[in-house]
Amino acid sequence: MKIIVHNDKCQGHARCWAMAPHIFDLDDEGYIKPGDIEVAEADEKLAWKGAKSCPERALEIEK
Amino acid sequence: METFATSPIPAHVPLAMVGDFSLFSSPGMQPTPNGDPQAAAAVVHEGPRIFYSPVNTRDGRGTWVITRAQDQRRVLQDPETFSSHRSIFASALGESWPMIPLELDPPDHGKFRSLLNPLLSPKRVMALESAVRERAVFLIDRIAAAGTSCHVMEDFAFPFAVNIFLRFLGLPDDRLDEFVTWANELLHGDNVQRPAAARTIIAFIDELAAERRKRPVDDFMSFLVQSKIDDRPLTDTEIRGTGVLLFVAGLDTVAAAIGFDLNYLARHPQDQEMLRGEPSRIVLAAEELLRAYPTVQMIRVATKDIDFEGAPIRKGDYVSCATMIANRDPLEFPHPEKIDLTREDNRHTAFAYGPHRCLGSHLARREIVVGLEEWLKRIPPFRIKEGTSPVTFGGHVFGIENLILDWS
Repeated sequence: MKIIVHNDKCQGHARCWAMAPHIFDLDDEGYIKPGDIEVAEADEKLAWKGAKSCPERALEIEK
Repeated sequence: METFATSPIPAHVPLAMVGDFSLFSSPGMQPTPNGDPQAAAAVVHEGPRIFYSPVNTRDGRGTWVITRAQDQRRVLQDPETFSSHRSIFASALGESWPMIPLELDPPDHGKFRSLLNPLLSPKRVMALESAVRERAVFLIDRIAAAGTSCHVMEDFAFPFAVNIFLRFLGLPDDRLDEFVTWANELLHGDNVQRPAAARTIIAFIDELAAERRKRPVDDFMSFLVQSKIDDRPLTDTEIRGTGVLLFVAGLDTVAAAIGFDLNYLARHPQDQEMLRGEPSRIVLAAEELLRAYPTVQMIRVATKDIDFEGAPIRKGDYVSCATMIANRDPLEFPHPEKIDLTREDNRHTAFAYGPHRCLGSHLARREIVVGLEEWLKRIPPFRIKEGTSPVTFGGHVFGIENLILDWS
């Protein structure tokens, strides 16, 4: 599973990070770092919840 | 009490699109004993996705009202079409300068956000947590020691929120009461109190900036006067605009949220019991309470003519995106009227959408969670004190007064 990160849509709500800080890494301003995220199988459920928590719809799930 | 200017409906607004809902004057928005203004605002979901409300700002202007969360996202994520440059603070004084970053548009907005974001980032807030908790414990222990009832806003919510704000600014606690009065008069005062409070706050911010320029210390204002944007120091107006925004944004909103949350819990003993028994549920519960009881409406100004879902919005029109309306949108939240403290998948808009997402959201969340944790740990099952009625109100920032809790 892969999370496609739309950095232009991230506004720093940090809800993904609150859900799974080891999957969603933030920069010093509190916005998600650029680059899509390859998710390990064991993390899939948490990553899914994190992606779905974005109020801006900046995280897209690719199976 | 407010005195509204009469605002004629603009000629381009079709009469069929005029609605009679207003966040200021509709049922439940005026001061109401035992009211529930957020629930009262949800009445708009029986109507169209957009309508025109002829009197829907503090100074009596009309706005378009966006009722669907999805449409509010579209407005708030598009600052080119829907600008937030309104000078609401300065205009009360007949002046025009922006509160920063809220009333700036891109690209200037981004420069100031980049400067300020690290100060209130999620990681920085983690470092502030012990001070926040210490303050909550101090206030609640004092309340518990004093008796079996208290005035929540005066004894806890305001001194808690204001203390943390003062700490952030690097100021001592001894002017706390004064600050609370200024903030109250600014946000909820009449047409004489508001500009007077605004001038007092400006003078205070200007004086603090001048002092920190002379003798910088390790605090927010010293940081600001020493900062650079585009390789130049901030101007006096920029420093003032930033200081004023922090002052206005950080005080009333968190205190009101805590008030509404404790009001809800006082009336729902089973939810109290659940959170008291399993405090780890408070983080999730706080999100549902933020969804159910947000306090702010975002207003944008159209920068060009645009047809929006059938509404002929014209350049200069105000467009209101009220958080309490989006947060009760049945297309976004199943059974939005039901407050379910175990609700997951809760992408509420208490802190807005788009580039102006509340800069203090991470600190505000921490204050609310820590406040509830320490309250439930230290105060036994509580209720609204018999014979008293909290008074709620809508308007520019929703709030609650006379909230007296009892645990005798």
